[in-house]
Amino acid sequence: MSLMAPIDHSASRPRYMRRRRLNFVMMSLSLAAAAFGLLWLLAILSTLVFKGVGGLSLDVFTQSTPPPGSQGGLLNAIVGSAIMTAIGVAVGTPIGILAGTYMAEYGRHNRLTTTVRFINDILLSAPSIVIGLFVYEVVVIQMGNFSALAGALALAILVVPVVVRTTEDMLNLVPNQLREAASALGLPRAVVIQRIAYRAARAGMITGVLLAIARVSGETAPLLFTALNNQFWSSDLNAPMASLPVVIFQFALSPYTDWQQLAWTGALLITLAVLTLSIAARILAAGSRK
Amino acid sequence: MTDHIVSAFDADLKELGDKLAEMGGLCEKLVAESIDALLRRDTPLAKRVIEWDRSIDRLQAEVEENAIRTIARRAPVAIDLREVVAALRIANDLERIGDLAKNIAKRVVALEGQFQPPKLAGGVAHISDLTLAQLKDVLDAYTRRDETKAVEVWNRDGEIDALYNSLFRELLTYMMEDPRNIGFCAHLLFCAKNIERIGDHATNVAETVYYLVHGVPLTDERPKADLTSATAIDFGR
Amino acid sequence: MTSTDVARAAMIAPVPARSAAQPKVHVGAGQAEKITIRDLKFFYGDSLALKGIDLPIYERKVTAFIGPSGCGKSTLLRVLNRMYDLYPKQRAEGEVLLDGIDILSPKLDLNLLRSRVGMVFQKPTPFPMSIYDNIAFGVRLYETISKSELDGRVEAALRRAALWNEVKDKLDASGLSLSGGQQQRLCIARSIAVRPEVILLDEPCSALDPISTAKIEELIDELKADYTIAIVTHNMQQASRTSEYTAFMYLGELVEFGETEQIFMSPHDRRTQDYITGRFG
Repeated sequence: MSLMAPIDHSASRPRYMRRRRLNFVMMSLSLAAAAFGLLWLLAILSTLVFKGVGGLSLDVFTQSTPPPGSQGGLLNAIVGSAIMTAIGVAVGTPIGILAGTYMAEYGRHNRLTTTVRFINDILLSAPSIVIGLFVYEVVVIQMGNFSALAGALALAILVVPVVVRTTEDMLNLVPNQLREAASALGLPRAVVIQRIAYRAARAGMITGVLLAIARVSGETAPLLFTALNNQFWSSDLNAPMASLPVVIFQFALSPYTDWQQLAWTGALLITLAVLTLSIAARILAAGSRK
Repeated sequence: MTDHIVSAFDADLKELGDKLAEMGGLCEKLVAESIDALLRRDTPLAKRVIEWDRSIDRLQAEVEENAIRTIARRAPVAIDLREVVAALRIANDLERIGDLAKNIAKRVVALEGQFQPPKLAGGVAHISDLTLAQLKDVLDAYTRRDETKAVEVWNRDGEIDALYNSLFRELLTYMMEDPRNIGFCAHLLFCAKNIERIGDHATNVAETVYYLVHGVPLTDERPKADLTSATAIDFGR
Repeated sequence: MTSTDVARAAMIAPVPARSAAQPKVHVGAGQAEKITIRDLKFFYGDSLALKGIDLPIYERKVTAFIGPSGCGKSTLLRVLNRMYDLYPKQRAEGEVLLDGIDILSPKLDLNLLRSRVGMVFQKPTPFPMSIYDNIAFGVRLYETISKSELDGRVEAALRRAALWNEVKDKLDASGLSLSGGQQQRLCIARSIAVRPEVILLDEPCSALDPISTAKIEELIDELKADYTIAIVTHNMQQASRTSEYTAFMYLGELVEFGETEQIFMSPHDRRTQDYITGRFG
C-alpha cells in the first residue's frame, strides 16, 4: 500500500470512535483533578498574600513579638527559627550524608543497609509531634527546662531521614562505570567516593539538604514540646526560644486582631521562604541533569 | 557448511559458485571443441568456438563484479573470504583457458587449405586428452571442495609437460625433414603450447582449491617437466 | 619464554591432522609475555564464568578478545586489573602473572596494580570536572609535581590521545561537554597520563560513530609502540584491523588463540570459523 493512500478506518470505525470518546473523557477527568488541586493551592496562596501583605512593615523585622494591643514585630521568632533550623541542619546533615554514603557505597546489598533504609523510611513519615514528644521526654525532662537546644535537636532528627534518603538515592544514580573508571586509575575507595561520586551527585545531595531545610523550617509540633516559645528576644540556647511556626500557632488562636495580623504576616513570610528554597532545589536538580 | 545468519550472504556466495560452474562447463566444452576443430580441421566449428569465447569473457566479468560486490557489502572473512578470492582467481584462470582455446580455433581458421599431413596431429590428440581430463578433474575438485583430487591434478601436470616436450622434438624433426611442413608444424606447435598452458592454468586452479580448503598456499615445488625453453636444437647434425 | 611455554601456546589451538602440509606455527614464538594467564577460573557466586583459560598477552602488541555476548571476554579483561574486586561474590582462581608477579595474590596492592594496568570502558566515563582536571586528577594522586610539570603531563597525554588540538583552548570546560568520541579519547588520555604499562579496552568504540571509531583505532595503532594493549570488541572488523593476536572465546572457554591474520584467514577451530563468518546459530 502506498504511503500516500488515505488510511481506511471504515472497518473499525465504531471501535475507533469509542476510543476517541474514552480518551476525551479520561483527559477531561485528569484535567479537572489537576485544576482542583491547583485551585486550593492558589486559594491558600492568595489568602495568605491578601491577609499577610497588609501587616508587612519594617517593624516586622526589627521588633520582637508585642504584648496584646501594642506595636511589635516578629524579629525574635524569625531569628529563633533561623538559629534552630541552622543548628538542626548542621547536626543532621553530616549524619545523614555519612549514613547515606555507607548505604550506597559500602553496604549497598547487605542486611544492615536494608534495615537502616526501612527504619529511615519510617522515620521519614513519622508524625513530627512524635519526635517532639520523644525529645521532650529525653531532653527537656532530663534538663528540667524547655530550651532552644532541645528544639534544634528535634529538628535535627527530622533532617536526618530526608538527607539519608536523598544522599543514598543520588549516589545510587551515579553510574557504576564512573566508579570503575576511577578505580581503574588506581584511586583508593575513599578518594573515589569523595572526589568522584560526591561530585557527580552533588547537585542532588544539595537539593536534599535544601528540601530538609524547607521541611523543618515550617515545623510547629516538635517545637511546641521543646523550644516552647518566648515573648522576648533571646539567643540563649538553654532557654525557651521563639520560632515563626509556634508564634503563628499561638497568635492565630488568640482573640487579638493585631496578633492575628502578625500571624498572617508570619505565615506569608514562612511560605515565601519555603517556596524560595523549593525553587532553588528545583533549579539545582534541573542543572545536575544536564 | 552451516548457513550464515544473514541468508542473503549465502545467496551471494551461491550465485558466485553457480556462475563459476557455468563458466567451467563452458570452458571444458570450448577446449574440447577447439581441439576437435583442429584435429578434424573443421573451420565452421572453429569459428563457433571463437564466438563462444565471448560468453566466457562476459561470465568472468560477472563473477568479478559479484565478488567485488560481496567483498564490499559482506566483508567476508576466513572461509567466506577464501571462497570469494578463489572465485576471482579461478574465473581469471578459466578466462585465460578460454582465450587459449580461442587462439587454437583461430589457428584452425588460418590453416584452412594448407597442406596438412594427417599423421602429425596424433601427438596433439594425446596431449589434449590428458589436458581435458585435468581440466575436468580440477573443476570437479573445486565443486566438491576436494583438495586431495586437486593435489592429484597438480602433481599430474608433469605428464603434460613431458608430453609437450616430446611433441616439441617430434614437430622439430618433421620440420627438418620437409620444409613444406614448417608452416603447419609451427601452428601446431603453438596449439600444443596453448594446450600445455591450459594444463598450467588447471594446476593454478588446483592450487586455488587447496588454498580454499586449507587457508594456506600449496607450497611444495611442483615437478617441472617443460624443458623446451631450455632445449637447444642441434641443426648442424 | 621457555620451551614449555612455546609448546603450550601452540597447544591451545591444535592443528587439525588433515592439514599436515601446513607448517606448524608457534603462536607468538619469541615474543615477550607481559601477562601470562594460567588455568584461570572465574566465579560469579557459584556460577563458573571462565573455565580454565591459558593465554599469553605479549608485550607491546595488541591482543583482541572476540566472542559472542556472555562468553567471558569482558570478565577476563576485568580480571587483569582486578576490577571484579569492587563487587562481592566475584572471585578468580588460577594464575595471572604480570611480569612474573601473580596479580591474583590477596596481598597485592590493588591501587598500584591498577596504576600499572589502565582501563577504558564501553561508555565514555569522563569525571564530572574540567578536561584538565580529568587528566591531572590521577597524576596528582601518585606524584607530587609542580604546576608546570603537571601542565606538561596533561598536554602530553592529550597529544598522545590525539585530542590536544581539539581541546587546548578549553581545558577548563567540563569533560562532559565533549562529544562521545572526544570523551572516549579523554578517557584514554586519562589512563595514559598515569603511565600504565598495560591498557585494557572494553569495547571502547561500541558507543561511537565510525569517524570517532577510526580515530580511536588509529590511536590504538600508535599506542602499541609503548603499551601492551588488550581489547574486547564485538566488531570483528575492528579486531582484525587493530590487533596482532586474537583470542576467540566461547562459553567461558578459550577456543582459539593465534595471530590475527591466521584467525581471520584460516581459523583452525570450526567454532571460530562459524563465529567470525556469521554462521553462529
